[in-house]
Amino acid sequence: MAFQTRRKYCFFKENNITAVDYKDVKLLKRFTNDNGKIMPRRVTGTSAKMHRKVVSAIKRARTIGLMPFVDSGSE
Amino acid sequence: MRYYELIYIVSSNVERKKNDQAMKEIGEKIQETGSKIINHIVWGKKKLAYPIKNNTYGTYMLAHYEGGDNDKLREFDSWLKLSDLAIRHMIVKLDGKPDIVESLEEDKSENDTAEKGEDKSSDEKNLKKEKNKDEENKEAE
Repeated sequence: MAFQTRRKYCFFKENNITAVDYKDVKLLKRFTNDNGKIMPRRVTGTSAKMHRKVVSAIKRARTIGLMPFVDSGSE
Repeated sequence: MRYYELIYIVSSNVERKKNDQAMKEIGEKIQETGSKIINHIVWGKKKLAYPIKNNTYGTYMLAHYEGGDNDKLREFDSWLKLSDLAIRHMIVKLDGKPDIVESLEEDKSENDTAEKGEDKSSDEKNLKKEKNKDEENKEAE
């Protein structure tokens, strides 16, 4: 009983979300780590379809200054 | 018909009057391309994730419009890039017709439910940050 299995699930499927908006920073922050990097699918458990949408939304948010390219945490 | 979303940032150093002026000028330019404006609103003053042209704060504006002449729209894009009105802008094609929005308000209640996995310490930090932001906004007003 060394390991507890944690079920991986797609966040969007669980919450019935079909579209990702780049203005919804709070949602997108879930899929980046502390440095602002986009986390891989194997970590977040997102479905391939939604992961592609998340990635493009994060990249849009970065260009318009809503999310950091690199978050060094010096604030 | 194609629907587009334009988001642009106006430097927060400029006065309110100039904000309105930028909105007016950009709105006129959009109409010149033969597009129909659906929404044109102020999203609010926000802290930028990284400094853009030496600005740490910016006022975000949002516009939805129905696409007109393609060549003129391309011209409008480059005109906005060259003008000093906005420090950064982005035009995105929308999937469907956008709803009419009166104002975009940030939901503060979302903070409580979202991000269950976060540590308490980071939650406290976020709260402090928000408090600071609120104070800054009050000062700005």
